[in-house]
Amino acid sequence: MMSTMQGIHVQGVSRHFDGVKAVDDVSFSLAPGETLALVGPNGAGKSTLIQLISGIERLSGGHIMVDGRRIDRLPPERIARLGIGRSFQTSRVFPALSVWDSVMLGTQARLLRREHGRFLVNPLYELLAGLLPLRGWRKKVEGQEAIVRETLQLFGDRLWPRRHQPAFSLSYANRRRLEIARVLAGQPDYLLLDEPAAGMNPTETGELTRLLLELRRMRPQLGMLVVEHKLSLVRSVADRVIVLNQGKVLAQGDPDHALDHPEVVEAYLGRVRTRPVSSDAHLG
Amino acid sequence: MIELFFSQVLNGLAIGQVYALIALGFSLVFGVSNLINFAQGALFMLGAFFAFSGVTWLGLPLPVAAVGSIALVTVLGIVLEGVALRPLENGPYIAPVLSTLAISIIVDQLAEIIWSPEGQAFPLPFEEVTFFIGGAYITSTDILIFVFGGLAALALTWFLQYSWLGRGVRATAQDRDAAAQLGVRTDNVRRLAFALAGTLGALSGILVALYFKSVFPQMGMPFALKGFAAALLGGLTSIPGAVVGGLSLGIVETLASAYVGEGYRDLVAFSLLLVFLLFRPQGLLGDSRLSALGGSGAASGSMPSTSLLASASSQRAAHRIIEMPAWGFLAAGLVLAALPLITQSSYVLQAVVYGMIFAMLSASVSLISGSLGVLSVGHAAFYGVGAYTVAVMGHTYGLPTEVALPAAVILTALVAVVASLPLYKLSGHTAALGTLAIGQIGFLVFMTWLSVTRGPMGFLNIPAPQFDLLGGLRLSAISHKFWLVALVAAVGLFLVQRLLDSEIGRAWRGIREDRLAAHAAGLPVRRYMLMAFAVSGALAGAAGGLFAYVQSVISPDSFNVHASLLLLTMAVLGGLGNLTGAAAAGFLLTIVPELFRPFAEWRMIVYGVFLLMVLRMRPHGMLGAR
Repeated sequence: MMSTMQGIHVQGVSRHFDGVKAVDDVSFSLAPGETLALVGPNGAGKSTLIQLISGIERLSGGHIMVDGRRIDRLPPERIARLGIGRSFQTSRVFPALSVWDSVMLGTQARLLRREHGRFLVNPLYELLAGLLPLRGWRKKVEGQEAIVRETLQLFGDRLWPRRHQPAFSLSYANRRRLEIARVLAGQPDYLLLDEPAAGMNPTETGELTRLLLELRRMRPQLGMLVVEHKLSLVRSVADRVIVLNQGKVLAQGDPDHALDHPEVVEAYLGRVRTRPVSSDAHLG
Repeated sequence: MIELFFSQVLNGLAIGQVYALIALGFSLVFGVSNLINFAQGALFMLGAFFAFSGVTWLGLPLPVAAVGSIALVTVLGIVLEGVALRPLENGPYIAPVLSTLAISIIVDQLAEIIWSPEGQAFPLPFEEVTFFIGGAYITSTDILIFVFGGLAALALTWFLQYSWLGRGVRATAQDRDAAAQLGVRTDNVRRLAFALAGTLGALSGILVALYFKSVFPQMGMPFALKGFAAALLGGLTSIPGAVVGGLSLGIVETLASAYVGEGYRDLVAFSLLLVFLLFRPQGLLGDSRLSALGGSGAASGSMPSTSLLASASSQRAAHRIIEMPAWGFLAAGLVLAALPLITQSSYVLQAVVYGMIFAMLSASVSLISGSLGVLSVGHAAFYGVGAYTVAVMGHTYGLPTEVALPAAVILTALVAVVASLPLYKLSGHTAALGTLAIGQIGFLVFMTWLSVTRGPMGFLNIPAPQFDLLGGLRLSAISHKFWLVALVAAVGLFLVQRLLDSEIGRAWRGIREDRLAAHAAGLPVRRYMLMAFAVSGALAGAAGGLFAYVQSVISPDSFNVHASLLLLTMAVLGGLGNLTGAAAAGFLLTIVPELFRPFAEWRMIVYGVFLLMVLRMRPHGMLGAR
């Protein structure tokens, strides 16, 4: 019973924008420990699905369950506190905050959580903890600081030596890393990544691929939903692929099977190819 | 009965037409440059005065004087763009807003020097006639306003809708960079928007002068506030919205004045605006998308941010930040506490006491506008709640300080929390206009709640601080009050700095930098906003309470929109979000002008020029925004 409840279940979800069906009756599930890739041409509804799951856009129809709980009417911050972390297509990094502070903010929601129950600590207690060195609180903060240190060090020498710099001073690729680091520091059960490799060069894409594989090894229970155009990355990390086109599911299955489906190739490239799509060359 | 109602509606439509014109000028400028133009009121006032001078000094017939005045103010609109906006184009978003404010401070004061601060009769070129339609009546002036206002609005709509230049304006409002790529001269478009703001401002100024048959240098601000409110009601960037907003505001407030009481005219108008924003933050005809809420420049771009300190170029320059650790405030308080031992001059002590009170107030604004990132143009309301709490408790009920001062702190914190509720859904400049409404409501409550606040006369003889718990210790000498203020200010600022350095302060800054990312990271954004308002309110309440004790006389005039604007400029001058900067600016900018008391007339002009220079040279404030 429990095992069927676990995971993210997107059921018959639609999202219309003034008559345009960005997402049209889409259903799929993401199990804990699974990595699922959403691919499809621009405008297929991939990013909209992430917006819908994370609560930033509202559904026009259907529902979304997470670990047996309906989440599609909750505000984004509640959904995040239920263990769903996400990155954005354009990195959102709190520009003026230092790298360290930015990642610390990723852990703040956990800091506020009470030992038992799903409520947050009393705001008056939080204010008091801001003014006085309360031992219990300090210990929790130190715990989060340890997590932030570990997370930053996951990225080798990309972020850690720059931890005191403001985020706006980072390079484009480092800002993408910083955002992923912030999401990871929140220790989510599910991770939604919206085009994490967009704008990265091949070396950086390779580095990110290795990071995601490493993450799968370190956190075997982590469920990952990756929206990505770079099929090399998708083929390396995904257990399963869902191909979307014009808001509908076109094909799904294991990466090789789904990505080489003739309809998929046509939807993606506009023509039928004889060789399987394996490189990113089509992205120009 | 029904006749009275219709007469009021007609009357409301006439005054609403004026609001609509101001709102149009405001929306145009806001649309193309994403800027709250605080100088709109100054243009309005100049329009009325130039026409007045043309008639009385040069002996021109009114229509000629009016056309001349409109032409002149149109040119001044272009000058305003060149002085206030152009040099700060790539600076933080907040810099040009503050620079229009500086210009309005300078212009208003110059007008008082040139035309005298008193109101003067505006010559009517014709006998006023009253027409009766059934039982309802309407005056010829009403008709004049309605005809000219309506024609101007129609002409503007036609221009924007069908002319090439108008298309350029709309394209620039939608996406400046894209419009520039397509060959629209966006610089000229912006100049045009400011010119039109001048035209509409001058026209509405003249119509208002006709309506009230008088002109006075302070007429700009109240009408500018109504114009802002009308624009906000209509949806900020919507042209039909500005007209509908202006007319609705005119009708609502005229009806309020007829059926609730003349004194409640503005109170009802601003309260309804705030309640309305709770349910429809995008305004009547506005768009609910973030990009339409004036956040477009800030929310898109290569590095999304909702911060007021972000700039259109999306690149940020690193700047030096000078700030004290929390204990520095305790040390500063201790050092200042020695002053009464050195001098007994009540002039000096009084000046320093006010300096300390304004340090707290400026810090309180800095917390909201700098750390949390909600531009506050209404903080004087919180300051006033603190002062009135102490006045009522001390004077009316004779309660001791250990009750009255903490009560002022707690009550102001509560008021600030409730006041901030409508702001939650507003973003960027819309939120700033929301705080403006809060400030106005506060001021109008002090003015009209006669049984508690005693209205415009306020309180005289508020008793000196007295502590019953300390055996009835009375602090009546200024040196004794000095110690109380130094103690409260030092401890208050110390505590707030501790909070800013804690996890809470980090969350505030995160919300300021990117509200959406904060939501997505699971931060309880509303809770942090309420906490910020509570803390800021508590600090402002303490300052207000101390102010009542020190001054022993208070009246609503200390807590009007000018006080709010002054506090905001202090916080910006010090460096937004930098508590040391805010406190230092509040302290010094209160004490230094005291020394120039003999030049009182010129003081505000010097202040305005200083503000302009700092914005130009150190747009992040003297000690650097944090």
